[in-house]
Amino acid sequence: MTGSIGILAAAIAIGLAAIGAGIGNGLIVGRTVEGIARQPELRGVLQTTMFIGVALVEALPIIGVVIAFMVLNR
Amino acid sequence: MPDFRVLYNRERKWMFYLLSIYVLGWGFTSFQTVFLGLILGTCFGFLNLWLLVRKTEKFDKLVSQGKKVTSLGSLSRMATAGIAAVIALRYPEYFDMIGLVIGLMTSYIVIMIDYFYHVVHVQK
Repeated sequence: MTGSIGILAAAIAIGLAAIGAGIGNGLIVGRTVEGIARQPELRGVLQTTMFIGVALVEALPIIGVVIAFMVLNR
Repeated sequence: MPDFRVLYNRERKWMFYLLSIYVLGWGFTSFQTVFLGLILGTCFGFLNLWLLVRKTEKFDKLVSQGKKVTSLGSLSRMATAGIAAVIALRYPEYFDMIGLVIGLMTSYIVIMIDYFYHVVHVQK
């Protein structure tokens, strides 16, 4: 990949990955806070679900970051 | 202890098992670059997992105190993956890139398998 096109591709990859992770994390965390506010006794379960959800949401953006660095290095 | 702390302890155990298998593979097979990439990726993936647990605990503390939560630390986890990628790209003779990506994803695969295993078998 040559010059500025490679940089643009990397920037788009990281940017879209960050947007996706941000929206996904926002939805998960928002619903978790809502759930904790409604039923504080379910805090542990909701937190575990949030932990797993955030981990799954962030898997693809992390691959996106690695791919962006690979594109930049070419 | 919160539930997810138990989950993290179990995942940590599986990650250490996997790391020890990778070290054996690095020492006793001819695929040294692949296993070194896997080891590097798994170490950084493990760091990501630890950061996620720390941030989740902090989130819990702040929410229970009624304070605002500013971030879950996505940027730091992405930066960690970036550092791992830079190391692997700087020394391609030692680290395999595909191994690194698989290693980074190991913690997430472990989380999924562990969660579904417990949902299906233990909580039945």
